[in-house]
Amino acid sequence: MSGDMAGSNNYLLEVEDLKTYFPVKRGVLRRTVGYIKAVDGISFAIKAGQTLGLVGESGCGKTTVVRSIVRLAPTRAGRVIFEQRDVLSAGKDELRRLRREIGLVFQDSYSSLNPRMTVGAIVGEPLKVHGEIRGSEITERIAELLSKVGLSSEHINRYPHEFSGGQRQRIGVARALVLEPKLVICDEPVSALDVSIQSQILNLLKDLQEELGLTLLFIAHDLAVVRFFCDVVAVMYMGRIVELAEVDQLYRNPLHPYTRALISAVPQAGPGLQRPKNSFGTHAVRGG
Amino acid sequence: MSERKQIIETRRPPKGRSLWKDAAGRLRRRKPAMVCLGVVIAYFLLAGSIHVGEFFDLKVGPTLWAEQVGRSYAPPSSKNVLGTDIFGQSVLRKTLYGAKISITVALCASLISIAIGVPLGAVAGYFRGFVDEVIVWLYSTLSSVPYILLILAFAVVLRDKTLFGYKVTGITAVYLAIGLTSWVGICRLVRGEIIKHKDREYVMAAVSYGCSRRRIIFRHLMPNVLHIVIIDFSLRFVAFVHAEVILSFLGLGESDRPSWGAMINDARMELSRGVWWQMAAATAAVFFFSLALNIFGDALRDSLDPKLRIQ
Repeated sequence: MSGDMAGSNNYLLEVEDLKTYFPVKRGVLRRTVGYIKAVDGISFAIKAGQTLGLVGESGCGKTTVVRSIVRLAPTRAGRVIFEQRDVLSAGKDELRRLRREIGLVFQDSYSSLNPRMTVGAIVGEPLKVHGEIRGSEITERIAELLSKVGLSSEHINRYPHEFSGGQRQRIGVARALVLEPKLVICDEPVSALDVSIQSQILNLLKDLQEELGLTLLFIAHDLAVVRFFCDVVAVMYMGRIVELAEVDQLYRNPLHPYTRALISAVPQAGPGLQRPKNSFGTHAVRGG
Repeated sequence: MSERKQIIETRRPPKGRSLWKDAAGRLRRRKPAMVCLGVVIAYFLLAGSIHVGEFFDLKVGPTLWAEQVGRSYAPPSSKNVLGTDIFGQSVLRKTLYGAKISITVALCASLISIAIGVPLGAVAGYFRGFVDEVIVWLYSTLSSVPYILLILAFAVVLRDKTLFGYKVTGITAVYLAIGLTSWVGICRLVRGEIIKHKDREYVMAAVSYGCSRRRIIFRHLMPNVLHIVIIDFSLRFVAFVHAEVILSFLGLGESDRPSWGAMINDARMELSRGVWWQMAAATAAVFFFSLALNIFGDALRDSLDPKLRIQ
C-alpha cells in the first residue's frame, strides 16, 4: 500500500502517520499523567473522485480522525496533505483557504445546525464568511443548493426545528456543498436517522457525488452502508487502521480478524438466509 | 437560473417560526403573566412620564411632590387620598415619584451588571484556560462577601466622590454600587451556557468553514445565550428594586427626593403615633411591583426555556 502511495500525485488527500492524543490530567496541579491515544498513527489516501469509507466501532477514533484532518482537534504527529498542501502546518490564511475546499457533514443534524438561524442563514453563512458573492447572488445560490439537496427555496426562511431529521441532514449537506468543496467529509451522516431516511440521504450523496465530481471521506460504523457507498474501505480499531482494501476485496477476503468479526455482524436480509429452516413451514407462510 | 430567480422574486418564501416567536406565543397564553406585564409596564410608563415631566419642567402630579397640600400628618381623605407626611406633602405624589427613583436605579444597575457580566462570562466560557481562571477567581472572591455589606461598602465609598470628572451623588452612587457588585450571577450563567454551547457541532461546523472567533461569539453563541440574559434581567430587576429600598432605608440612597426606602424609613417613627399611611403606601407600591415582576419573570423563564419548567 505504501508503495502505491509514493510518487503518485493524483491523491487529493493523504494522511500519514497521524496521531492525536488527548492528555489525561490529574491532581491539584493538573499534571499530565498520561494520554488517551484516540488516533494512534494512521495512514490512508484518497484519489480524486473516489470514496473512502472509514469504519469501526463506536469510540475507535473515527470522529477524531475527521476533526484532526480539518484541525478541530490537536494533532500530535503526522502529516495531512491536501492537494500537495500541508494542512497541519498551514498558517491562518492558508488554513482558511484549505477549509473552503473541505466540506463537513456532521452526524447529529440536531446539534449541527444553529437553532436560532434560518436555513438561508445557515447555508449562506460560509459564503458570507468567505465574502465572494453578495446579496441576491447568495440567495440565488442558496435556492439552487436547496433544490439540489431535495428541499425547496420555500424553506429558506424557516428554522431547523421546523424540519424532520432527514430534512435537517439535507440542510447539513447543502451547507457542506455551498463553497463547492473538492473533498466532503461525512461523519456518520446517516447513523442518527431511521433506515428509510438513511437510504434517501445515501442516494442523495451518491447522486451529488456523480453530479459534482466530489471526493468523499465517509465515516460509518455500519459495513452494509459502506459496501453500498465506497470504493475503498479502511477498518479502524482502537485508534489504528487494521485493514485497508478495495471494497469487493475486503468483503470477499477479509484478512484481519476484526474485519471478519465486523462483516459477520452485518445482519442478513431475509428471514431464511442465515438460520436453518424451522419445522413450521416457513415456505408456506411466505408463499401465502 | 433566470426562471428560478423570477420565482424567488415574485413569491416571497414563507417566514418560519423562530424560537423567539415560539416563546412569545407561549408567554401570551399565560393570562396571569400578561396581567403582571401590564402592571410592570404601568410602573415603567409612570417612571418614564415623571422623567419627561421633570425634563420639560411640567407642573403636574408627582413632579409637584414638594408642594405643601395640607397640614402635617393629615390622614387619608377625599382631598388627599393617601394623606400627608410631616411637611404636609402629599403621600400619593411621593409614592408615585418613588417609582421613578426605584426604576431608574434598577434599570441603570441592571445595565451596568449586564455590561460587565455578559462579556466577562462569554470570554471566560469561550477561551477557558488562564483567562477563565482569573475571571472565576474574581467573581468567586466578590461573591464570598455578603451581598448587602458589599453594596453598603461600595455605596459609602462612592458617595460624593468625583469619578471621571463627574460627581457621584444620590442615586448615581446607589446604582453604581448595585451594578458593580451584582454582575456575578449573570457572569456565571453566561459562562456556563457558553461552555455548554461551544462544543456543540454547529459551532464546530462554523469553525470548519472558517468563521472568525468574533463571528462565532456574536453570531452563533450570543443568540443562543441571550434568553438567559433576558430571564436573569427580569428576575434580578426585583432584587435591584429591593436593594435600592434597603439602601435608602439605611440612609445611603437618595436624600433630597422621595423614594420608597426613604419613605419607609421616615414612617418608622410615625407608626407609633398612628400615622400608618406613608408606610402603607410605600410598602404597597414595592409589593405590587415586586409581585408583578416576579410572576412575569417566572413566566418569561418558562416560555423562553421550556426545558426548565417545573410543573
